Amino acid sequence: MNIQTSQMLRQERQNKRFTDKQTQTAAKYLRRLIELPGEPEGIEPFYYALGRIYVKMQGLDLPQGTKTVGTYCVMAPQELIYAAGAVPVKLCSGNYTAFSIGEDIAPRDACPLVKAVAGFKQTGLMPVYEDCSLMVVPVTCDCKKKVAGMLGEMCDVMTMHVPATRGDDEIDEFVSQLYTFAERLEQATGNRITYKTLADGFAKVGYAQRELSEFIRLKKQNPYLIRGSHTMAIMNAAAYMPADRWAAALNRVNVSLRRRAAAGQTVTTKKLPRILLTGSPIVFPNLKIPLLIEEMGGIVAADETCMGERGMYDPPVITDDSFDGMIRALANRSLRPCPCPTFADNSQRLYRLKQLIADNHIQGVIYHVLRGCLVYDFEYKRIEEELGKLGIPVIRLESDYNEEDVEQLRIRIEAFIELIKLRQAPEKRTEVRTAF
Amino acid sequence: MRKEIANIHSSVQRKAVTYQSEYIDTLNRLLGENEHLGELKFFLDTAYLWSNEKAKNHHKPEAVILGTGIPEELVIAAGAQPYWLTGGSFGSLAWSDDIVPRDTDPVSRSILGYICQPCGADFSDSLFIVPLSSDAMRKIAFELKVQGRSIVTIDIPPQRDDKNAKVIWQRQMQSMMRAVSQRTGVRVTRRAVLSAVQRVSRSRKALKDFLDVSRGRSDIITDSARLFVAGSYYLTDNIDSWTFRLQALTQRIYHLRMQMPFARNDRPCVLLMGSPVVFPNYKIPFLIRETGLEVLDFADQTAVKNSLICGTDMFIGSKARLIKTISSVSYMNDASPAFVNNLSLYRYVSALVQRGDIEGVVYHVLKGQIEYDFELERFERLFSAYGIPVFRLETDYQYQDVEQLRIRLEAFSEMLVHNRCREVKKAL
Repeated sequence: MNIQTSQMLRQERQNKRFTDKQTQTAAKYLRRLIELPGEPEGIEPFYYALGRIYVKMQGLDLPQGTKTVGTYCVMAPQELIYAAGAVPVKLCSGNYTAFSIGEDIAPRDACPLVKAVAGFKQTGLMPVYEDCSLMVVPVTCDCKKKVAGMLGEMCDVMTMHVPATRGDDEIDEFVSQLYTFAERLEQATGNRITYKTLADGFAKVGYAQRELSEFIRLKKQNPYLIRGSHTMAIMNAAAYMPADRWAAALNRVNVSLRRRAAAGQTVTTKKLPRILLTGSPIVFPNLKIPLLIEEMGGIVAADETCMGERGMYDPPVITDDSFDGMIRALANRSLRPCPCPTFADNSQRLYRLKQLIADNHIQGVIYHVLRGCLVYDFEYKRIEEELGKLGIPVIRLESDYNEEDVEQLRIRIEAFIELIKLRQAPEKRTEVRTAF
Repeated sequence: MRKEIANIHSSVQRKAVTYQSEYIDTLNRLLGENEHLGELKFFLDTAYLWSNEKAKNHHKPEAVILGTGIPEELVIAAGAQPYWLTGGSFGSLAWSDDIVPRDTDPVSRSILGYICQPCGADFSDSLFIVPLSSDAMRKIAFELKVQGRSIVTIDIPPQRDDKNAKVIWQRQMQSMMRAVSQRTGVRVTRRAVLSAVQRVSRSRKALKDFLDVSRGRSDIITDSARLFVAGSYYLTDNIDSWTFRLQALTQRIYHLRMQMPFARNDRPCVLLMGSPVVFPNYKIPFLIRETGLEVLDFADQTAVKNSLICGTDMFIGSKARLIKTISSVSYMNDASPAFVNNLSLYRYVSALVQRGDIEGVVYHVLKGQIEYDFELERFERLFSAYGIPVFRLETDYQYQDVEQLRIRLEAFSEMLVHNRCREVKKAL
């Protein structure tokens, strides 16, 4: 056997090991979601989408010939991608296996999300990455900036400069970036973006936003109609489904939730502490934190992460219905209301958190920091101080995609939930859970 | 209550002592190693006056620049002498420890520490110019704003080939000039811009001459002293006097070179690059010397900036044109890791490598400055093409890892010596 053949065999073995481990992890988390009681009717399409990408390791379920455009942040407007006849796919990953491969490529202190992205791209085994005609990387942090350069050596990448402030000049500059993005999309897809196709793009995403806003309204109800982990699965699936299909599936979930509300049927009769999850994104299959919260007797009543509601929460407001007006609306939507810590002054996030706390009757906040995600870590102190004034306890959980810290996290989350329960009026307290 | 106040006082004193002993130690060592060079004393005094708390109290800087990425010509033209905060002090970290997260890089922490230092310069009326070159800088800018300080943020477009990038940078430079001009009450004129460009260019030319003349002559001036002299530009409050003194130092070194034309070079020559080494934390250059290596060149953002000398073709045109040109030149040659691809640094390093006298590279990464780590791979490819070994050295401003670093550097030094012997054997 010559050296080349033995290297090929070795590579094949490595690939198989990667595929096996990757699918096992994803399948495990999917199973945990399915086994969690209280899932709403109509959630299956979301599980299917997640399973298709991570367990079956297939590309997006799309008609043949449809192009996909990979995005690494919610600031790349989906409307433009639909207008170019392509389908957006969020490529931020929460996969531990890819993360461990990425550790050999990216620096040790890079955040796990970036390592996972680098790992997937390096293996070349995930169709969802390999199928992309173009990848767009909005530069929101140092790691994303450098990973854009790294990806640029492997595939067609467009870097998008996200300004650190949100003045009128910055909005104008972002508008011109969106025009450049439109040009790049036209080149990648071979389709022209016209007024009509852009309006269609708005309609597609608008439908999803409308359903999402109804979903959020139903989710707010107290006692709860749906668990936070199921909500996270739904929100994560949005990354791998065309907006209209996702909206139609969400519509079915909303119908079932309305039915539950009418029948007074809630996911639990107990008064569980309502937790808000904020900080670094929680990306499938790394759902260990929401699952731990709900296993420990809390409920994720709201999440402020960018893989959650933030991605589609704010609709674009068109004040001028020309083509330029629509592009301007996208730029405004991407920058002005965004509570991403990429902005130097991110007081917006504090207002948003306070609003979420009030709307969802939040009793405690879990602040998730992915190891190496400095921008979120910087904002923790101020948020802790401000929420302390409101009497809301906050806990900072630092983690990565590794599963070895699960027990440690479990103890901390359990203690936090106990603390919230002790602060509740005695008649509202529930028994401590001992078995799951 | 009294006890509490006493505790606070003793903690402030402790921090001040660490800070003071750090810069005094560095200055003493530099002086001790280069005692025969009387001309060096001016630069040591400059650093002492900048660092000393008592002297600092008299400083009331109008424009404070964080980092070295801003073209100072524009600030000088607007009537302010820039006061640079470039970090570098382990002692100053103590004043920012409670404000920033644990993983923040030491440069940013040190800069913030200088600002929050209780007995440092008086920044109450200062305008802070903050280039948002990293995540930490972005958040420090906000922290300063929360503290009620006046700030001007400069966002750095990360992709130089983006058609709007230069325009965005130029617009921000103009806003910055307007803000400085409002603060100083000095109107920006064409003559002021021209004069500033000429003064800065003269300084850079003097620095270039100094670095060329002293290159490879560690028997006359040590590598750390060369680095220190280059860095003292950011500590002076009078660049004309600094330039004049540097010219005198260069002259002296030149004469010494003439007197001792042959220098025995038994130390392997290395390039020191990556995270910038900033006064007073000189543990890396000191260690390099102690382990038998010689730093031939330095390659970082500041070194690239110092190499930018404006030609006479830049001195023509209107005031607006001059400002635009200065902004463009500074942006297109900025070698900070704030870019997707740091081409400026790559070009600079490629040119250094092509000289053919670099035997090894010490790639310095400060903990938390992850961008340098990302860039390493590309540089490794470049160096491997020339057969130059690269040594990655990760550290922070603490002095506890010195012995560990020494062992690693000694091993690298031995390897380079061995490589040299092998080359000689091959030649024979």
